This record gives sequence, C-alpha cells and structure tokens, in this order.
Amino acid sequence: MSDPLREQWLQEYCEGTATAETTALLERALQEDPEYRLHFLEYLNLDQALSSASGFAEKDAEPAPAPLHLQPGLLRWAGLPRWGALAAGLTLLALGPWAVHALRSPYAMVTSTTGNGPREGTSLRSTQVRFEAGVVEFLTAKGARIVVEAPADVRFESADTLRVLRGKVAADVPPSAKGFTVLTPNGDAVDLGTRFGVDVPESGDAEVHVFQGEVIAQATGAQTKQSLRTGEALAMHNGVSASRELRSAAFIQPDEMPQLSAGLAWGQRARAQASLRALKAEPALIALLDFTDNTNLPGVFRMAQGRWPGSFAPEFVHQGDHLKLDVGADRLWPQLTLSAWVRLDQLGSPYHSLYHTDGWQSETPGQVHWMLTHDSKMRLALRGNSLAPGSTEKQGFPDSHTSVLPQRGRWVHLATVYDADARSVRFYLNGQFDKETLQEVAHPARLGPAQIGNWNRQDRKLSGRMDEFLLLGRALNDGEIRELYLSGNPYH
Amino acid sequence: MSAPPDLKQQQFLRLFMASEPAVRAFVRSLLPTLNDANDVMQEVAVVLWEKFAEYETHEDFRRWAFGVAKFKVLSWQRDRMRDRHVFGLETTELLAAESEHHATRLEAQRAALQDCLHKLPTEQRDLVHSAYAPGARIDSLARHLGSTAMALYKKLHRIRLLLAECTQRELSRKTEQ
Repeated sequence: MSDPLREQWLQEYCEGTATAETTALLERALQEDPEYRLHFLEYLNLDQALSSASGFAEKDAEPAPAPLHLQPGLLRWAGLPRWGALAAGLTLLALGPWAVHALRSPYAMVTSTTGNGPREGTSLRSTQVRFEAGVVEFLTAKGARIVVEAPADVRFESADTLRVLRGKVAADVPPSAKGFTVLTPNGDAVDLGTRFGVDVPESGDAEVHVFQGEVIAQATGAQTKQSLRTGEALAMHNGVSASRELRSAAFIQPDEMPQLSAGLAWGQRARAQASLRALKAEPALIALLDFTDNTNLPGVFRMAQGRWPGSFAPEFVHQGDHLKLDVGADRLWPQLTLSAWVRLDQLGSPYHSLYHTDGWQSETPGQVHWMLTHDSKMRLALRGNSLAPGSTEKQGFPDSHTSVLPQRGRWVHLATVYDADARSVRFYLNGQFDKETLQEVAHPARLGPAQIGNWNRQDRKLSGRMDEFLLLGRALNDGEIRELYLSGNPYH
Repeated sequence: MSAPPDLKQQQFLRLFMASEPAVRAFVRSLLPTLNDANDVMQEVAVVLWEKFAEYETHEDFRRWAFGVAKFKVLSWQRDRMRDRHVFGLETTELLAAESEHHATRLEAQRAALQDCLHKLPTEQRDLVHSAYAPGARIDSLARHLGSTAMALYKKLHRIRLLLAECTQRELSRKTEQ
C-alpha cells in the first residue's frame, strides 16, 4: 500500500477535504482493488477508534451537543419515564471530561444522572469518576444496574468490578452479571446475583448490606470470607468484620432513580426552595431545619445527601445518634404542626424518635414526643393528655391509622397537627390526611430542650435520614399540609 | 414485546453497548468525516431503539444494526449529494458489504490499537491525543505548536499509517501464536 497518490486520496477523504475529482478517483480505486478497500476500511476504523478513545473531535470546538431530545410521540411509544436519559445513552456521545479510552467496548454507561456527576450517555472504561453532588446510575456491559450517591469517588476496573473509594453504592445484579464485585479500601463484596449496597463513608468502616440474595464479603487482610444473605449487613474494618443492622434507606436503589431525576427535571427543587422561603416568613414559625443552611447543629450523626443533589440531611446510623434542638421554650403552644421528610431504614424496633423533648415528667404537662411505633405508625404523645371517651386507640396514645412501612427506603413526608383547643391530633402521610384522634385532656404543647433521632433515655433510635424538619405554632389545615408535601416532594 | 419496558431497555442497552464500536466504525467508513459519522450514529441509535420491538432475539444484533446503519447512511448521502462529495450508491454498497465481511478483523484491530498507541514515541502519541481530543481544531493546534495545519494533517496521516502497520503486525502475530 505504498502508492503515494492513493495514500493522499485516503488522507484527504479522512480529513473531509477531498475534492469531487479526488472522491471519484478514490471510488474507482476502491471498486477495482480489494486490497486497497481493506486498507481504506482499516485506516478509517483507526480514525474512528482514536476519536472514540479521546471523546470525539467536535465541530469547530463548539460545546458538547446537548443530550438528544425526542419527540413526545416517541416518549409515549416507549412508555419509559426516562426516555431522555435512555436516548442520550443510545447516542453514546462519550463527550466531556469523562470520555474515556473506549477502544474496546465500554465497561459501563451512565444511564441517568442528577447533580454534577458524569452526563447521561457517557461510556466508561476504567476512568476515575468523582462527583460531590447528586446520584448517578450506571449500566454495566453485563447488565448490572449500579446507583452511586455523592460524595463519590469510584472507578470501573472491568465490566464486573467497581472500585469504590467513597460513596454509597446500590447494585441490582441480574443472573447475567453474577459475580459483580465491589472493592473498597476495607474489603470486597462479591455478588451472587442479587441486590445489595456498599457504603464507603469519608471516614469509618465500609459496610455491605444485602437487600436480596447472597453476597460474599471479605474484609481486607481477613483469612475468611463471609456469606451474607437477605436482610444481613456487615461492617469491615482492619481485617475484621462485624454484623450491622440492615440500612436500606442509606441507598438510593435503581427503581428510585427515574422518579428522582424526573422530579428534578420537573423543577421540584425550585418549588421546594420557594416553599422554604415562604415558611421562613411564617410568623408562627418555631423551627425550620433544612440542614443545608443549618450546618452547625449539635449532636451525634453524620451528614448525608438530602432530597436534592448537593443538599444535606443528618443520617442516624448508630444507637444513640441524635441531633439536639432547643426551641420554643418561652411559651406554651395551643396549636402545633410537626412535619419532616424522612428516609427510614428497618422499622419497628421498638420506637423511632422523630422529635422527643427531654424528660417525661408529670410536673411538665404538654411535653411532646413525636415518633414511629414498633408497628410503624406515627404517634404524637403529649404528657398528661388523655384519649376522649370511646376512643378506639389500642395503645393509649394517638397513633396514625396507616403504617409507614411500605415507604421504607424512600423519602416520605410525615406530618402531625395538634390543636389543644379543638382537642385533636391529626396525622398526614405524604400530604394525605390519615386519621384524627380526639383527646379528653389536651394540654398546650410544651417544647424546649429536645432530641431528633433519639430520646435522652437512649432507647428510641431513628435509623435513616431526615430532611426539612418543621415546627410551627399554628395548626395547618389539610390543604396546607398537602401543599407542603407537593412543594417538597423530590419525586415525580 | 412481552418483556416489561425496563427489561427491554436493559436488554437493548446491553446489546447496543456491545455492538456500538463496530457500528460506529461501519458508519465512519461510509462517510467523509467523523462529524458526519457522529450525526448519522445518533439517528441510527434512535431508530434501533424505535424498531427494537421488531427485532427478533435469534437475529444477530450487530448484523441488524449494520442494516439499519446502512439505510441511514444512504439517506444521508442522498440528502447531501448536491453540496458534498459523497460516494455513489455502488461504492457504498460495496464498502458496506466488505465492512460487514471484515467486522471481526476490524474489531481485533481496534483491540490491538491500545498496545500500538503505547509503542508510539511520546511526541506522536501526544499529538494524537491533542488532535483527537474533544473540541480540538487542527488549525488552532497547529498555531499552538508553531506549525501549519497542512503539516499537521500530514503528520497525523503518517501516524495513522504507522498505527495501521503496527496493528497488522499484532494481528498476524496473534494468528501465528
């Protein structure tokens, strides 16, 4: 293949500078000479592979094209909530700083993203992926779905192996991808075809949680491997592993991603911020913690991501973890609205504290204890109050009718409205009125030093995250609660 | 279409990811520039997904994708025949058939490229990376390097020929082993 003229035609064609005459000459040579044809194909094959390996040489250095948008007709046809993400994935533009050396098939591809992670459609091959806000969903070449939550620092070492230096990783591994392995600084987890999570915090032990199926875990330096099955969890530290309680809410799982990213796309975050501003201007406001502006709260907990990319929420992991709050002690409150977004782990053992004022003495009637009971119902107990005659409450306190159990591992909005004058306690789940319980004795609410996530008797742990905790000195009506939920809902 | 949408999507992405480099190379070989190939590739991906319901699982996905890609290339050429110098139908058909025939060899060539890139002298390797980097422009790169666009195009052409030779050597070495 050393005919200089033919080589020049090839070069010009490849650069896109071939004239009509050159193109015609090239065509004739291609038609006549099979050897030259193969050379031509190989040459352009290399050109394409070099381009794919470096991202893509764009037209005139314009910014990367926006992900492809499809007509609504297609969207309906596809019936997929994440069409935008999928379509972007299809184009495999592999642009931007995450474009990697895709000389061979990629190990994984970004199928959905929120925050500042790699864009949808990016294909990855052993590139370090770091992002400080949001959630990214990957699909591996073997079909495993991997969701990684910020702050994260991860790298696919193959289509079967993900190295995690930091981040919360949830994996949904179909039989085709059995053997998918997550490597952490503290140890490894090998999946046997199932759903599991790995949490690698900034500091502290890496944990493995098995939602379904079986995982083999091995702490770094340990001689033995350990089999974990559905509902089991393990912390790995210095070659030693220790059992942990399952924390499903610590992980955003693949089935949650579409609604989260749709919520963002729908502008829910802006709506939530507008609602927060309005709440902050409420004359009856006692406390509003969005945990992003309130960063120096006392207590023992760690900060995780809130409902939005880059926002924050306290995460209660260990027995005794709590957040201290001392508000509203200057007066008594005949009306009180309590509301919070929570993301709960396992429930029912034995109480989960949402908000507990310190102590529970008869000389301080009206003390407020807001919690989830062992049967996963919301409870508002005020010291010294009693149920109205004929009440159907079985445990002596106003409890919600509906259990929050099915909402485990997702953000759920909980609200309770207390009105001492009307002697009523009203419960709301995700903006929906659930139940009203009437009181015979109804003291005005007494606030003051309190804990979120625990009670000072240490037996009421909350396991999970909390976002946007609100105490308001008036009784919100059904419509207002509904609005509070709708404006703060991260899903769509 | 009995599989639920999510499974279908997953199945599609898996097949598509596995074939994407081959289909992209196929499209590139039939079109004058990388930009053209990228434009057509976007359309190909969308059509593949749209038509995925019609795809039978016993078919070879890559072959099916090549068929769709060829159709898209031909309509692209038809649209631009007046203002661009594009191959005629006969050449395109010939190259498409040949491309499909040599698909395995071309795949092996892409796989061998990584090693060959490493064997290049650093200066040449850096030039390749800069020239193929996202958003790179040959004229501004040439200015930056104190050279001309024409000289740079020549250099890149020589490097591609070197890489072609190297990958051929690698392939024949592997066949002998």
